Amino acid sequence: MVAKEINQPVAKAPGRAWLIGLVAWAVPGLGHLLQKKWGRGLILGGAVWTMFLVGVSIGGHLFRIGPNDQGFAALLQLLPMSANFGAGLLYLGCWLTNTGFAEQAQRVTYEYGNTFLLCAGLLNYLAMLDAFDIAAGRKQ
Amino acid sequence: MRHLLWMALFASLTALVFGVVTKGSDRQRLIYGLKVFAEFLVVAFILGWILYFLPLR
Repeated sequence: MVAKEINQPVAKAPGRAWLIGLVAWAVPGLGHLLQKKWGRGLILGGAVWTMFLVGVSIGGHLFRIGPNDQGFAALLQLLPMSANFGAGLLYLGCWLTNTGFAEQAQRVTYEYGNTFLLCAGLLNYLAMLDAFDIAAGRKQ
Repeated sequence: MRHLLWMALFASLTALVFGVVTKGSDRQRLIYGLKVFAEFLVVAFILGWILYFLPLR
């Protein structure tokens, strides 16, 4: 049965699906809301927004490649930065306003905050793929 | 206690997303989400006790 499913030709995703995917990445939850998946949109968006805001408020910090990061140090920043980047405009807004990038290692909840921020971005990637699949007709 | 609450909040939000994006009926997704939540807590407790006995200081 699995082989049968694999051999089936995959329908090409319409341009609208790519647009929905982009919107879902930019604003967590909006990709589902635009497709009238109200429950899913509110739950996914609510979870990602909550994780991000809690992460910032309890002392977590966002990652970026700064001018001081050269060579291997820049590579070390790349992975967590790409995870943070998944939060879409939330990350870009913080980047533009220089909010949330300062390390607050003296706070007890600092590591929790980092984990919340990293996972908010990663979970939004999942939500984005879900919205894309729905728009492409691959999922209900 | 505060660490436990943050961990539980993290587990609940992550399990919520996992439960919503997975395939299956509503009931199957609910059970999957609860399973993920329970797994997060159980693994964290086990790792916590293992670390407690390790001479890390």
